[in-house]
Amino acid sequence: MAEPIRILTAVPICDGHDSAINTINLEFIRHGIEVVYLGYHRPARDIVRAAIQEDVRAIGISSYNGGHVEFFAEVIDLLKKRGAAHIGVFGGGGGTITKADAAIMQRKGVHRIFFAGSPLDELTSFVRKHYCKRGRVASTGFPRGSAGRLRTARCIGFTGPGGAGKTTLIDELVLRWLSSQPDARIAILSHDPSIPGQGALLGDRAAMIYSQDDRVFMRSLATRGRAGGLSPESARWLRAMKDGGFDVIFVETVGVGQEALPFRRGLVDKSIFVTGSSYGSRLQLQKIAMLDAANIVVVNKADLAGASTAAAEIEERLQANQRGQHLITTVAKSHRDAGVDRLFQEIRP
Amino acid sequence: MSILARISESVEAHAREVAQQVRRAREDAAFRTKLLKRWKAIRRDVGTVRTPTGLELPAIALPTTDDPGAIARFLFAEGLPGTFPFVNGTYRNLYSQSPSPGPPMEEPTRLFAGFGLAEDTNERFHFLTRHQRSIRLSTAFDGPTLYGLDSDSEGVFGKIGEGGVAIDTVEDMERLFHGFALGDERLSVSMTINGPAPIILAMYVAAARRRFGPRVVGKLRGTIQADILKEVQAQNEIIFPLEASLRFLSDMVAFTTTRMPRWYPISISGYHIAEAGATPVQQAAYTLSNGFTYVEHFRQRGLDVNQFGPRLSFFLDCGLDLEYVALARVCRKLWAIGMRDLFEADERAQLFRLHTQTSGRSLIADEFKNNLTRTAIELLMAYINGTNSCHSNSADEPFTTPSEEYVRLAAHAQSIILEESGLFRHMANLLGGSPGMQLVEQAVERAILDEFRVLDHLGGVLPAIEQRYQRAQIQAAAHRYEQQIADGTRPVIGLNRYVTPVDALAEPKVVRTPRHRKQHQVDRLRAFKRRHRAPAERALDALTRVVESNGNVFAELIKTVEHCSLGQITERLFAIVGRYRPSV
Repeated sequence: MAEPIRILTAVPICDGHDSAINTINLEFIRHGIEVVYLGYHRPARDIVRAAIQEDVRAIGISSYNGGHVEFFAEVIDLLKKRGAAHIGVFGGGGGTITKADAAIMQRKGVHRIFFAGSPLDELTSFVRKHYCKRGRVASTGFPRGSAGRLRTARCIGFTGPGGAGKTTLIDELVLRWLSSQPDARIAILSHDPSIPGQGALLGDRAAMIYSQDDRVFMRSLATRGRAGGLSPESARWLRAMKDGGFDVIFVETVGVGQEALPFRRGLVDKSIFVTGSSYGSRLQLQKIAMLDAANIVVVNKADLAGASTAAAEIEERLQANQRGQHLITTVAKSHRDAGVDRLFQEIRP
Repeated sequence: MSILARISESVEAHAREVAQQVRRAREDAAFRTKLLKRWKAIRRDVGTVRTPTGLELPAIALPTTDDPGAIARFLFAEGLPGTFPFVNGTYRNLYSQSPSPGPPMEEPTRLFAGFGLAEDTNERFHFLTRHQRSIRLSTAFDGPTLYGLDSDSEGVFGKIGEGGVAIDTVEDMERLFHGFALGDERLSVSMTINGPAPIILAMYVAAARRRFGPRVVGKLRGTIQADILKEVQAQNEIIFPLEASLRFLSDMVAFTTTRMPRWYPISISGYHIAEAGATPVQQAAYTLSNGFTYVEHFRQRGLDVNQFGPRLSFFLDCGLDLEYVALARVCRKLWAIGMRDLFEADERAQLFRLHTQTSGRSLIADEFKNNLTRTAIELLMAYINGTNSCHSNSADEPFTTPSEEYVRLAAHAQSIILEESGLFRHMANLLGGSPGMQLVEQAVERAILDEFRVLDHLGGVLPAIEQRYQRAQIQAAAHRYEQQIADGTRPVIGLNRYVTPVDALAEPKVVRTPRHRKQHQVDRLRAFKRRHRAPAERALDALTRVVESNGNVFAELIKTVEHCSLGQITERLFAIVGRYRPSV
């Protein structure tokens, strides 16, 4: 089977109109396309960096707040400057982009502008036809100054049920790492599930605000039918990252079930199980395999009702294991959360 | 139990109370006699009106029944217009017109304006209000301002002055309102901004003080949207983390309710929720639950519900779905019951004051003149609902910035309904209490309370937000709506029914801000920053201390804006409280 088409979609800076792009993303996925979604209010710099790191074939931009002529031009200029002119750019913006604007934008290198009322089929068939072949094999896109550095990256794996806050936690750790170590280089390998018979929405970047940085390399992988939380490509990417001169590599699995043990021996240096308090009864807790395997267990959303009970029950289990596992409670959504600070102290070199 | 569960209980208790009054009216002779006497007096006091054709009618439509049970049900379950629970309106005579002396002047409508630099919008404001007896200015801001960024931030140049006015400093704010008497009681200003609302309002206050002295502050009239909960749920223009945003908002509300008593510091908005795809019931349920969440939050910050309650206002969408004929009627009732029973608010603080806008989403580009009809029907439903004010969209909005012609036609549609037609001129409450209306009301009310129960089950509004509940529901509804249009189960004339091939529309003329004007904004912002370099740093440090010591941030911001730009302030606040993390 041919490799799925990977594209990146985003809404420009100072623009929060994500209703159209949400619908379009779903339509792309339904047609087997893997969509790295960067979210709304994103500067051209972040879009181009992400497109190169994710090695997508095209960038789709949905712009409803004006300034599109300049914004699309900025994206195309930056792609050229970074040696990534092979990545195509297309977009739309309902009634806000006039035919005259579109003509200017297409002269500047935009492949296609879709106007209000374009049927969704037209968009998906355009992408499937136009971007079916990859332009060329891109470089890894690793950040400048990382390759050639003699660093043995520590690899830290994050897993846990969906909605526990793994992405937020990693982003907060990245913030701490970057601000305490100005020359740090960080890699993130994130996973999202493929929908059987369809594509995948790779949306972790959209919720990350501090990881959009030139010192951070991030790659989003779809599981493509592999069960257990990782992708068939994960091991290959981890090897490349380990030689990439990074200080730390964060691996985030998809949301996993009770029995999952996503990190086989030697894959990561440290594994962290992130959970909220809604795992059900104490009995359910006993079934979670990662509670035995993880080096650190994080109870996130510690501000919610039930969190202290959860922390006590898990602590009891870890004590019984007698393996020196640590429990840390966090409120990752809070700025400067002391729990996240403690976790950072645990994992930093 | 969250407040939403308690409100559902209060509504049920109210229904039981009504049922009991109905029973008493039927079974208790003394009570019945008193009730019928009161009913007779009400009918007498309503007075009569005469239509131009000479027909005589009561000024308020009341049920024609003589059944004591039905009378009790009407009085207690719906209330006369202006009486608890306000189903039939917040005031007794909302639309009836007493002839005023002199030549008729057009009723002032708020005309949304904002483009280019402050001077450009100022000129537009003067033009729009040149014939109006009272001045209502409504301000749209450009993207960088809405997101708290300066015009010289990286990557925003193209957005300066697009879709709204560019405001970076207190000096821009002075330019924006140059030539208007900001303390005048016939002037009011509305500002559509949310994430950085406290900073923008602080600039407005500071600009007014600069021109008219410190005493003008207490006289300022207007509204700022400042509804950050709906931003998280639908519109995505929140910049600080939710908790910090709520704190800055509370400080602003605390300041305005005591020092700017004529200001409406928040407009609790369902409009953007509906435009993002929500069903009418979702719109009402999320708007009301957001409103109650604000009230609870402000009370926890020590504010008096009877002081801030009357300064809360609401903003709803009105589309073509049947629910809209009764949506606001139900909202008024649920709000009044919640405010009275949970927060012990007095009558002024129980009123659901409503501004309605017709649905932008219902308008389409194909055969766009049909939009005049769509908007007229939506307006009609909004007035049947007893909205306190209304904005009607221009028919050409799906493809361009509204042209003067269609703005005028949209405003005239309101006058035709209210002044020219007899529907609202003579008799208030035309349809209230009718069987069809009651049935829709009951169905809508049940559905809203069902939504409350779900929200309560998720732990309340804020935990539900964290679980992406409202966003996911809105997105799913938006998807269903599109599918219904695609499969034809939702007819849209000219789009999926009775499609007539028409010539392509002429390319609309779009007003864009020229490059040199954008550069001018950047240059003068940089000059401002150079001039204020030393005091700016001190002002930001003072602001930091207030944020960290839990002082009133809004009061301090009025000082900060004297030396700092919008972007400098948001940058500093980001460093203290963090940035908003989007949920997608």
